[in-house]
Amino acid sequence: MDSGLTSLIKVSGLHYRYASSPPVLIDIDLEVSAGEIVALLGPNGAGKSTLLRILLNELTPESGTIAGSLLSMKSSRVLMGYAGEETAHFNSLTGIQNAHFFARAAGVEKHEVSEMVSGLMNLVGLSNEADKVVSSYSFGAKRKLLLLEALVHQPKLLLLDEPTVGLDPVSRDALADILRKCSQEGSAIVMASHDLNFLEQLADRILVIDEGRVVSSGSQIELLSSLGTATRFQVSVDTASIELPQYFGEDVELVDDSGPLVFETTRGQAALPEIWAALISARVKILGVEVREPGLAELFRRVTGQELPG
Amino acid sequence: MKFLVTVMEFRIALARPRLLALNVMVPVVLVLAISLGGAPEFHAAAVYTVLFTIFGTFGSAIPLVRDAEAGLFGRIIRAGVPPSHFLIERAAGGSAIDALQLLPALTIATLGSISLNGWIRAVLVLWSSIWIANLLGNLVAAAARSLAETALFSAVVTLFLLHLSGVFRTPLPQSSWAVIEAFSPFQALHETLLTVSAGTSTEFPLGLVVWVLILPVVTVFLARSVTRSLRLASDG
Repeated sequence: MDSGLTSLIKVSGLHYRYASSPPVLIDIDLEVSAGEIVALLGPNGAGKSTLLRILLNELTPESGTIAGSLLSMKSSRVLMGYAGEETAHFNSLTGIQNAHFFARAAGVEKHEVSEMVSGLMNLVGLSNEADKVVSSYSFGAKRKLLLLEALVHQPKLLLLDEPTVGLDPVSRDALADILRKCSQEGSAIVMASHDLNFLEQLADRILVIDEGRVVSSGSQIELLSSLGTATRFQVSVDTASIELPQYFGEDVELVDDSGPLVFETTRGQAALPEIWAALISARVKILGVEVREPGLAELFRRVTGQELPG
Repeated sequence: MKFLVTVMEFRIALARPRLLALNVMVPVVLVLAISLGGAPEFHAAAVYTVLFTIFGTFGSAIPLVRDAEAGLFGRIIRAGVPPSHFLIERAAGGSAIDALQLLPALTIATLGSISLNGWIRAVLVLWSSIWIANLLGNLVAAAARSLAETALFSAVVTLFLLHLSGVFRTPLPQSSWAVIEAFSPFQALHETLLTVSAGTSTEFPLGLVVWVLILPVVTVFLARSVTRSLRLASDG
């Protein structure tokens, strides 16, 4: 954490549970600074959306503290922006009427609204649909409008739950550019997403949450270096009368033979033909090979023991 | 106060011309049928009062629960509209739209012997009664967990208040019921619809005024609870 940055919001020792259910969040610490982009990564039901709703002050934690400069700021505009997974709008009104409503509700002055809304409509690629009623929008267009409405008042803290769901690659890149610009202008962003490429592009810091706990956190570099630089190959083989060779190639190590064979190497995919040859020469019947390069997907898999959904 | 929600209510109403036409035509057809059917004044006034008040309560509660279930209500509050502003503005817009939609039906119901003053009084009483019905609809919506419950609770609350307002009884001027009626919200509307054609409706509508003034205060006081409850609807 860069101590030179302003701590916008700081959550310490946060616990939360819904009614008498088991705890959803356990001892969560999170500090977000102005201009920082923090990603929450975790399997479905890990507690990411609940954490966002606590930051929004919609849910009251069972215990723990929430502090930070955001809580004492005075502004004529709403300080937070939120885009969740729902796409609820005034369906019988046009996109621009919806955007104007949410902008004005968040405190944007009447004389500023048109310029701010039309600028963002262009950026997210909705300008052609601005005057159409929302009920005629595709799911992707509704998602874009939702994101626009969360951004339009230039919030100090932007909370996004699965922001790339429903977006085509062009819109996704446009969103990444917009979020980068928001961050450069001082807005902090906390987003929960399963879109690892998107997170890799943007996140300054990542919290991996599993079963309500932060199981790993740090910058991308810190997290990925904890994985080492090794590429993993997972080779499914016919285990009947298997006798494995001792050598699979230079700098290749067999790290697990309890199920599918797991090899690690720092030589990347160049080592695969040698592993393949060694197995074939030992008359091992190969059923399939999966390559796992070091990255957020692999980090997620190792930390949570689960595959990412979708 | 920017009246964003009230303006939005009008925009939504105007954006749905089919629904607007139905909301005007259905009460007109019902009132015409009763009016042309030669129903006794007391019965006709009772039916009109039930029709107009339920129009207000249902019309307020059901869309609110539907919007809460869809997540729109939560989005509006999250966007920065204070809950009390939202509920009051919504009732203000809704009651004005309802009153305009019911104006042709009211005119037919009071057609014949009504004076201009009597008609203006009837319009004001109708508008005020629907304002009460819309505010009640907000509160009813908070207690409901589904659209079916919303319809049920709206009917029960409105019919109970109509009963207290003396709509379903033969008047008993000297009894304790008369006192209860005087402070009930829909007594004035019933009385107006009953007596306006005879030009005898001159009493001060005490119950109506009390409810018109008190219910907004109650709404503001309960706004946070209503919001919390409606958000539960969107959480399932």
